[in-house]
Amino acid sequence: MAVVDVHRFAESITCHAWSPDHSMVAFCPNNNEVHIYKSSQDQWERLHVLEKHDQIVSGIDWSSKSNKIVTVSHDRNSYVWSLEGGEWVPTLVILRLNRAALCVQWSPKENKFAVGSGAKTVCICYYEQENNWWVSKLIRKRHESSVTNVAWHPNNILLATTSTDGKCRVFSTFIKGVDTKDSKAGSPAESKFGEQIIQLDLSYSWAFGVKWSPSGNTLAYVGHSSMIYFVDDVGPSPLAQSVAFRDLPLRDVLFISEKMVIGVGYDSNPMVFAADDTGIWSFIRYIGEKKEVSSGSSYSSQFSEAFTKFYGQSKATTANEASESSKSRGGVHDNCINSIVPLSKAGSPKVMRFSTSGLDGKIAIWDLESMQEELGHQF
Amino acid sequence: MAGGGGFVEAEAIIARIETKSTKIESLLKQYKPVEALKTALEGSPPKTLDERCKSANWIVVHRALMAIKDIEGMLNALDVEYYDILMKYLYRGLSTGDRPTCDQCLKIHEKLTERAGLGCILRCLTDTLNTV
Repeated sequence: MAVVDVHRFAESITCHAWSPDHSMVAFCPNNNEVHIYKSSQDQWERLHVLEKHDQIVSGIDWSSKSNKIVTVSHDRNSYVWSLEGGEWVPTLVILRLNRAALCVQWSPKENKFAVGSGAKTVCICYYEQENNWWVSKLIRKRHESSVTNVAWHPNNILLATTSTDGKCRVFSTFIKGVDTKDSKAGSPAESKFGEQIIQLDLSYSWAFGVKWSPSGNTLAYVGHSSMIYFVDDVGPSPLAQSVAFRDLPLRDVLFISEKMVIGVGYDSNPMVFAADDTGIWSFIRYIGEKKEVSSGSSYSSQFSEAFTKFYGQSKATTANEASESSKSRGGVHDNCINSIVPLSKAGSPKVMRFSTSGLDGKIAIWDLESMQEELGHQF
Repeated sequence: MAGGGGFVEAEAIIARIETKSTKIESLLKQYKPVEALKTALEGSPPKTLDERCKSANWIVVHRALMAIKDIEGMLNALDVEYYDILMKYLYRGLSTGDRPTCDQCLKIHEKLTERAGLGCILRCLTDTLNTV
């Protein structure tokens, strides 16, 4: 298996983020605190507890160059934490939200961060040097429901968002004074803040987990209907593909190379998707298990009990040994995985290591070094 | 739906369903229930909001479903793209509460879930736009 380390930190973990040198992890143990643990000689010790929020901390991101932690919470606030003299000092960011904040991400250049909220808005926050505070600009238009995930394009200007209205949108977040107009990339027309570049209507149900590929050419996001969507050449004429897969829906995705994506979700086992040479994406395998023979159904004992009851209603029911064989689902995680974070140098085209955290309170670190051959040439 | 255009469309769809129905009857008489089901599922009108079209198509699909005896064989012959639509009709069948229909639908549901996985069921549940 590709798992390098697993540790159960709490009852349940909402979100997590790693320090720039990957020695410390910050996570929210499903309450209003953020815990920072450091790993030393196979032991994890708790270094700090950041307590400022009043409600669940729904998003954490740790910038790798400036070493700042940004946290957002259901209490509609956001704090940017800086390490001063060994202690983490918070700075309140006034987001001007009237609903919970759901997700946050630093931009690639770390001069801005984006917050998705239940108020159907996205806040783009940037640092104003003169007043020494973080200013938030809102994108109020377009979203018809909560914004569940945000993802920055490598050019630091385009932002992709997914929402519970099922749509994935790409906006321009060009801010005068913060971003420089790059005359080569993109047309000047799209450089207006909050301008919607494209809206993708591929999903009928809630959309989660959007990510850009390392080059920024492809976009991947998941829908709650057990589907994953890939969009190439995002722009006026995108190439969209919907891939339906067998099992429970995903919650988050990660591009480990230009042509390979890992999805995590309710199946507690990361799934690998890859694009073949013609550009068609499909499900390849689970990370943990070997390629399954399709006739074996691998439901956990919970499901097989429910199924026997369900099918027992019918008079002529054949003893379904296949579903009785309760092959335990989670090799590593026992419950839904809701977050996947890369553990490689930012901007590198391939991700060799990543970590996952879930509702079972575990954080697992996965290393793909040993699996390079199995994953094939797309990796 | 806007009066004139929508109405005509619905009539056209119902007419198509009638022709499908006669075709299916003849296929059933020739003991080809698998072909019958395929014909019934093809051209299902999920995008119409018109309840009559949906009911008309359901009656046709129901007829073909009840005639199936060999479920494994039927699923072998059916293309993967029809799994989702078949699952939706199975749930419609289960909701009728009628004993023989439910028995048949349950049997097919069991086999279909084995093949298509829980994702298929998820797609039925979450798709509120294209209902059957």
